[in-house]
Amino acid sequence: MKHLKSFNKKAKMLDRTTSQDEVEDVVAMQSMVGCTSVNDPGWEVDPFGGLGSLCQPMEADLYGCADACWWPAQVPDTMSTHPNWSQDVSKADEDWRKLDSVFPEE
Amino acid sequence: MFALASVGASSALAADGESIIRDRCLGCHVETGESATPFSRISEQRKTPEGWLMAISRMQQQRGLVITPEEKRTLVKYLADTQGLAPAETRELRYVLEKQPNVTESFEPWLQDTCVRCHSGARIGLQRRTEEDWKWLVHFHMGQQPTAELHAGARDRAWFDIALNQVAPKLGQVYGLNTQEWSDWQAADKQSLSGRWVMSGYLPEKGQFDATVHISELGNDKYSVTMDGQYADGTPLTGKGSGIVYTSYDWRGAVTINGVKMRQVLAASEDGQSLNGRMFKRDDDVLGGQVTAIKGAGITAVSPSYIRQGERKLLTISGNKLNGSVHLGAGVKVVSVVSRDDNRVVVVAEASQRAESGHREVRVGKLSSEMPLAVYDQLARVDITPSDSIARVGGGGGALAKQKSWYRAVGYAAGADGKPGTEDDIRLGYMPASWSLKPFDEIAEHDGDIKYAGTIDDRGIFTPGDAGPNPERKMSTNNVGNLTVTGTVHDGNQVVSGDSHLLVTVQKFVRALID
Repeated sequence: MKHLKSFNKKAKMLDRTTSQDEVEDVVAMQSMVGCTSVNDPGWEVDPFGGLGSLCQPMEADLYGCADACWWPAQVPDTMSTHPNWSQDVSKADEDWRKLDSVFPEE
Repeated sequence: MFALASVGASSALAADGESIIRDRCLGCHVETGESATPFSRISEQRKTPEGWLMAISRMQQQRGLVITPEEKRTLVKYLADTQGLAPAETRELRYVLEKQPNVTESFEPWLQDTCVRCHSGARIGLQRRTEEDWKWLVHFHMGQQPTAELHAGARDRAWFDIALNQVAPKLGQVYGLNTQEWSDWQAADKQSLSGRWVMSGYLPEKGQFDATVHISELGNDKYSVTMDGQYADGTPLTGKGSGIVYTSYDWRGAVTINGVKMRQVLAASEDGQSLNGRMFKRDDDVLGGQVTAIKGAGITAVSPSYIRQGERKLLTISGNKLNGSVHLGAGVKVVSVVSRDDNRVVVVAEASQRAESGHREVRVGKLSSEMPLAVYDQLARVDITPSDSIARVGGGGGALAKQKSWYRAVGYAAGADGKPGTEDDIRLGYMPASWSLKPFDEIAEHDGDIKYAGTIDDRGIFTPGDAGPNPERKMSTNNVGNLTVTGTVHDGNQVVSGDSHLLVTVQKFVRALID
């Protein structure tokens, strides 16, 4: 790493994530119940324990994640489990209010 | 799940459960001919009631299972009773059933890298399966969510091979179907929870409370519940509802308290003399707290749990059958008894100027408290709990509610070495605090997170911002934010603050009974 110069935002953040405190923050946020630690990028938290490397706004690329069941415990996977989850919302960034969560029936 | 607790169901006799399996499940599952595991897959697993409900719901949603709500309730009860988890098997992982927010887990890498990337570790640890069934679960994931092996942490190694041939056999050993704990629990004497209980606990919106709880058995492990008590500020607490006991110890209650629908997830001790767990709002499960209830004589709470040298203050001792004189330990005297009954003793206590710093045992008659009273010189350190937390944006006209977070301040004295933050610090307990927010780092400051991400009130409850893209923000970013929560305690002449990290993040569109 010391012979390479980081040139994009994420790489610069990674360079800065060096102190033990920061590493612990990252680990804590990623091992919290209910959060995913799939971090390419993350859903709740990015690989650096922050928000800077997430897809933002989330709605802009939501279906890119749902189609590929990238975070299936966070976003209903429309590939096989919840194919109709977003069928009435063609543009999530415009009609996000219509998107509901999935929940087991009583 | 909780409808199970509130709707009267028919008898959950074993014959009913088995006949429902035969009628409803054998379209896909088969009879094995093995007496120990008569139904394929179904008999090779043990789970919590929530775990069974999730499995049956998945079969309904994705596999075409047709089952009536009453049959479903009966089947969950039957499976949790006959293929549940013993108290010892759930004890360390109950936080996920109790919906405790902001729990940070630590599991071994083999489990973390395979399962806990997406699920809580507790979700796995609250299941028991044969090795073969754990292997079927790996196959299920590959079929259902095939990109699992393409995620970071999976694509750079032979994920499927490792999951199937290394992790599943290990799960079969660590979380195997047949355990001594389960055999012991099946053989143990079971206790009815009927009777008069006293409960103490904390609710973030209302504070400390104690209450008398009457639990009456209606049959088939169903109970009616009434609660009658008060909050620390004197406000009355009254509640009424119902409960159901799974696996002979696992209480699920649905109680309406002062008009608010609450849920109780409690574990009865094996002797049936105590109930411990969490009570939370049905519609906002973050807003709840730990509760404890006892049937026999005992002390359940001492509030506040600290007294400064030379200080005179009111102390409330809560519990059951509180008879006899109150003793607060060396250097702390009872000046007067303000009020007392069977469940609550309020005294004016005074710590002498020369009382030694340290913890004291609180006693009422022959009863002693497990929670100590701390005597201290001065407040030296404040920790904020939880130390790491998340909240999720919501509302704003959308379908999903905001997920809040809440905080408490825990005070410490410096102890003998006079230095805060060392091992001999004396824990004083929860202390009232004032609350504020600031940006967590330079990026949060630059992005104006503090303006958009939410607000914290004087009870330490954080309410996140509205959901949806925000055109006011760079790239129409959501109202997410990386914040520091600061709690400041004023005590005597000391003003001491502590910090906690809060990440305000996006919604979760998959809600699970067990995360």
